[in-house]
Amino acid sequence: MQSWRRRKSLWLALSASWLLLVLLGGFSLLRLALPPRPRPGAPQGWPRWLDAELLQSFSQAGELPEDAASPQAPHGGSCNWGACFDTSKCRGDGLKVFVYPASGPISETHHRILASIEGSRFHTFSPAGACLLLLLSLDAQTGECSSMPLQWNRGRNHLVLRLHPAPCPKTFQLGQAMVAEASPTVDSFRPGFDVALPFLPEAHPLRGGAPGQLQQHSPQPGIALLALEEERGGWRTADTGSSACPWDARCEQDSGPGQTQRGETLPNATFCLISGHRPEAASRFLQALQVLAALQEMSPARVLALRQQTQFLWDAYFSSVEKVIHTTLEVIQDRIFGTSAHPSLLWNSPPGALLALSTFSTSPQDFPFYHLQQGSRPEGRFSALIWVGPPGQPPLKLIQAVAGSQHCAQILVLWSNERPLPSSWPETAMPLTVIDGHRKVSDRFFPYSTIRTDAILSLDARSSLSTSEVDFAFVVWQSFPERMVGFLTSSHFWDEAHGGWGYTAERTNEFSMVLTTAAFYHRYYHTLFTHSLPKALRTLADEAPTCVDVLMNFLVAAVTKRPPIKVPYGKQRQEAAPLASGGPGPRPKPQAPAPNCVNQIAAAFGHMPLLSSRLRLDPVLFKDPVSVQRKKYRSLEKP
Amino acid sequence: MSCASGPGGGLRHPLRCREPWDEECEKEAVCVIMCASVKYNIRGPALIPRMKTKHRIYYITLFSIVLLGLIATGMFQFWPHSIESSNDWNVEKRSVRDVPVVRLPADSPIPERGDLSCRMHTCFDVYRCGFNPKNKIKVYIYALKKYVDDFGVPVSNTISREYNELLTAISDSDYYTDDINRACLFVPSIDVLNQNTLRIKETAQALAQLSRWDRGTNHLLFNMLPGGPPDYNTALDVPRDRALLAGGGFSTWTYRQGYDVSIPVYSPLSAEVDLPEKGPGPRRYFLISSQVGLHPEYREDLEALQVKHGESVLVLDKCTNLSEGGLSIRKRCHKHQVFDYPQVLQEATFCVVLRGARLGQAILSDVLQAGCVPVVIADSYILPFSEVLDWKRASVVVPEEKMSDVYSILQSIPQRQIEEMQRQARWFWEAYFQSIKAIALATLQIINDRIYPYAAISYEEWNDPPAVKWGSVSNPLFLPLIPPQSQGFTAIVLTYDRVESLFRVITEVSKVPSLSKLLVVWNNQNKNPPEDSLWPKIRVPLKVVRTAENKLSNRFFPYDEIETEAVLAIDDDIIMLTSDELQFGYEVWREFPDRLVGYPGRLHLWDHEMNKWKYESEWTNEVSMVLTGAAFYHKYFNYLYTYKMPGDIKNWVDAHMNCEDIAMNFLVANVTGKAVIKVTPRKKFKCPECTAIDGLSLDQTHMVERSECINKFASVFGTMPLKVVEHRADPVLYKDDFPEKLKSFPNIGSL
Repeated sequence: MQSWRRRKSLWLALSASWLLLVLLGGFSLLRLALPPRPRPGAPQGWPRWLDAELLQSFSQAGELPEDAASPQAPHGGSCNWGACFDTSKCRGDGLKVFVYPASGPISETHHRILASIEGSRFHTFSPAGACLLLLLSLDAQTGECSSMPLQWNRGRNHLVLRLHPAPCPKTFQLGQAMVAEASPTVDSFRPGFDVALPFLPEAHPLRGGAPGQLQQHSPQPGIALLALEEERGGWRTADTGSSACPWDARCEQDSGPGQTQRGETLPNATFCLISGHRPEAASRFLQALQVLAALQEMSPARVLALRQQTQFLWDAYFSSVEKVIHTTLEVIQDRIFGTSAHPSLLWNSPPGALLALSTFSTSPQDFPFYHLQQGSRPEGRFSALIWVGPPGQPPLKLIQAVAGSQHCAQILVLWSNERPLPSSWPETAMPLTVIDGHRKVSDRFFPYSTIRTDAILSLDARSSLSTSEVDFAFVVWQSFPERMVGFLTSSHFWDEAHGGWGYTAERTNEFSMVLTTAAFYHRYYHTLFTHSLPKALRTLADEAPTCVDVLMNFLVAAVTKRPPIKVPYGKQRQEAAPLASGGPGPRPKPQAPAPNCVNQIAAAFGHMPLLSSRLRLDPVLFKDPVSVQRKKYRSLEKP
Repeated sequence: MSCASGPGGGLRHPLRCREPWDEECEKEAVCVIMCASVKYNIRGPALIPRMKTKHRIYYITLFSIVLLGLIATGMFQFWPHSIESSNDWNVEKRSVRDVPVVRLPADSPIPERGDLSCRMHTCFDVYRCGFNPKNKIKVYIYALKKYVDDFGVPVSNTISREYNELLTAISDSDYYTDDINRACLFVPSIDVLNQNTLRIKETAQALAQLSRWDRGTNHLLFNMLPGGPPDYNTALDVPRDRALLAGGGFSTWTYRQGYDVSIPVYSPLSAEVDLPEKGPGPRRYFLISSQVGLHPEYREDLEALQVKHGESVLVLDKCTNLSEGGLSIRKRCHKHQVFDYPQVLQEATFCVVLRGARLGQAILSDVLQAGCVPVVIADSYILPFSEVLDWKRASVVVPEEKMSDVYSILQSIPQRQIEEMQRQARWFWEAYFQSIKAIALATLQIINDRIYPYAAISYEEWNDPPAVKWGSVSNPLFLPLIPPQSQGFTAIVLTYDRVESLFRVITEVSKVPSLSKLLVVWNNQNKNPPEDSLWPKIRVPLKVVRTAENKLSNRFFPYDEIETEAVLAIDDDIIMLTSDELQFGYEVWREFPDRLVGYPGRLHLWDHEMNKWKYESEWTNEVSMVLTGAAFYHKYFNYLYTYKMPGDIKNWVDAHMNCEDIAMNFLVANVTGKAVIKVTPRKKFKCPECTAIDGLSLDQTHMVERSECINKFASVFGTMPLKVVEHRADPVLYKDDFPEKLKSFPNIGSL
């Protein structure tokens, strides 16, 4: 029985195994027998040809190098830069612009724009010497239309500047003239030839202009993500709360009292949707493209970058009519310059192409602003530039102190007084160059070709500094190569009583300027001072020498949008609060410039760029209760 | 759907399961289990020894047969698939000669000529691309066909090697889809790379009968050699209606800005010749011209330059006296001197790329490969990929009429700029010219960038060579902005259970004028924070955040409650900082909003004996870190710390319960490229019950641990980002001989 049962179970097992075998085998056979069906959804891709090796090349050997030549350049109906602009007129001085004088009476705006171009470095009074002839067509109010100018020559080398949509019918053919106007149409715009301008409101400031309204880098938590421009100039906000924009337009919140009118305030939102000509299309546009969903996916890093870039672009190129015009001219100049035009980085990062002159250099690392982006560092050496004005004592002690610095590369003496040059100079290891100046104060900031380092230590012959003061200040400058690093400071303030700006050199808890009688800064500021400031301002500095400090501080502050840096100055403590001269030994004497100097310069800049700082950078162990032996700059602490 | 993603099957049979048949996978799993049980039954050890011998033999034979059968079946289960897939392979591995033939009737429709006014918003249907989370367009490739006319004469060569390569590259890329209904861009497999090999009308008819042609909307054609004799149009002459054209040799007249894509003319030498990169710097020749088919007028101009400038200019031509003709493409001659081409290009600083009959020249690619700066003399030529590439950085464009001035124009370029251009030229070739694949992918990326502009690749990514990308820092807070004082700061106190000390800190901090909110991060999960009534009453809102886990990184979490940009991180035992010191710290932060502004400073040093970094807390003249036991910083860095910290640093810090402050110092220095600002003189950070900061730092093992952190982080970052400075920030009149009463921050440094 047992064996039967055993056998039975064995047979059972056997038959089960057979069944399995047949089943599985059958499947396999079935699969072999049936042709494989195409797999749904399987990626097929471009086939790998068996004979891909045998395929012929798209061009026969020899066809490429020997393509027959014809001297006839391809041509077309409209203008491009090469065909319609004659750069041979621009050789030498680069872009020189002649502006056609207005024929009849002109508006105040027109007058001031003319003045602003005339004050710029591009301007020339001679149409023959100009490489660009500018035709202003901007009097929207007066309805004055310009007629065809004299040197028209089919519009060659002409720029027609239209700040507001042309009210005039086209009185003459534009021909080969470049057109700079707002909102050009794709069909008429010639890329690389015409210039597209922003649409400017009538009341756009002529100069300076309000800085951007952004007060913080990152968006305020909880504000609307998107605002839609509406008909009648209102704004609707779409909230961050609505996850993705639903298709039934629910992403728009009920337009309640939160809706604001254009002109008063812009909506408080991270993004604003501006939809060209038809505001009512905005909501449909939003649905179709799911703008909101795309915006919500944007990383905080990108939002942060976009916010800041809008502000930079506004400040650098859009905030005043003058900036818009200068930007247009700069764009054209870049086309003329070709390889020595602004590199893209200079256009697109602070301080912008209007303040980073391509005539100085086309290598970003030559400027003080781009070391981070370039992964470079400012040079480890400086040049001391000592200005010797009246009475004309050779600054022997000062030269010794400066030459003692390990970072000093050269000493330049700018001899700017009536006395004859001394025949002998102190023996130093430093190369010493004497420049005979033109007795003008603004000479102090001339970009002398003999200055071979990025850093300049600007000094007055009457200044007194110790070697360790120089050393420490220079090390600080290396951390802030775009700022001025100085020892003595002064401040500006708003004078309610006089309704204007005031100036004080008294010691206070804050400062906004450093005196250039002893300060480190980048040599680029000499170029900027000499070539970008309006002539009127430099003349002002020459006439009122104490203003030159203020002017230089204005310039650097306008470029960096940062206050200068103060470092400790040992001598200061010996003196009474208001720095008075006349003590033993010659001392730099910061005379208070006439207060209208600050006001005049502020008016010329169009705004007040100076910023106040409440800090001073000291050595890490400055006056700490620790052995003086451990301190690197111990002589800074000597009483 | 693939099995690999499902639980179980995927890992066991990775090869097998990559197949897309779901049910197959399940079957396989069942089989394995059954086999196992059957085997166990058959070979059960208790069974066989007790049987009679003859039976045993009989059974064993039977079982072996069954077993063999099973094994064979099992093998079969595996084998047929490989046989099958190789069958599939064979199906794909067809011959180009066997592709289906399509007869084009002579009267089949011809598309309109190209529409010159086409722009993306008029001729391209973006709605086909839709919104997709990856922001990638989907590209479909039509199957290869052979087109013949009514008489059976082929319309063109079926496909060239390069076009086949191009389509393979697209097919292998992320853009590819085989689902024609989901595609946003269609690429015909009709090869129009070289117009000379085409019958124009018939090719156009072939395009028009494509299944989704629809006037060419969203179709992309690749053409490198446009036009034909005698007047050589600068764009493909095949009527193509609204189709996008990726063309080599566009002029400003034919190029539809923002619609067409200008591509290089591929040089076959790129694949044939290996020119290793040559470092930038002066080379033997200043200027070389190596083109052979030059118009005599141009050759005269160039030879005049050679006469004028002697050795530094080399004008080459075809070799006429070479015996073997086959190699002549790779040789150039000047008088009787023979040079290897393209190697000779590496001997020159500048290389002339002159217009021929066509504007686009393959030599441009050779020149870039040689790291020679191309001098492009071809009026109105749209340089390849000029929509995204900044050619000013890699080339010199000279108008044809100024050809005689070329030498002086080039000489006016500073040496440093020339070297930049040489590097840039080589980089352009490596990234966008060196293969058909590179050309195809760059073209698709440009179109992709237009369709998803908000996800487009930046100027820097397109143009900066890898070396620049590595070395440069793009500060996320680059706008020079001084935040208004009125905004104030949010203090974040990380605490565990030291309630008494915490309350003292809260009371002290609340005295700081610019404090706008106080956030307590309660990191103790076992104990509830004190009742509301017990907390100190302060003038600003106080919020308590309870955390899920006791982790140090909780201190740097970007809490929604932080409404100000400035954050003060402060430990629950820092009671020694005066209100003046904290207020001053905040004002310093306003001037340096992109930096860490803190009180106790620390330094990293290179230990020459141990050959690694060392942590230093002694009285030094330098600072490279500040402790975050008391530091101001921008709240954006909380986001970076929590979500963008490189490598495993965040987990490492949480696991070791240490060094979160060093990690923050590394992070900020790395992303901004700037040093910390230490404020106010050194203080002894000691308090009765505290162990943090100085108290703990003195501990020897603690110092070793901190050094270890620095070494660990430096290896994760791949660099040492910390910057050493010798300054700290004090109030303007600090320690000056000036009446204390008149100072803004008199109570600084005193304890």
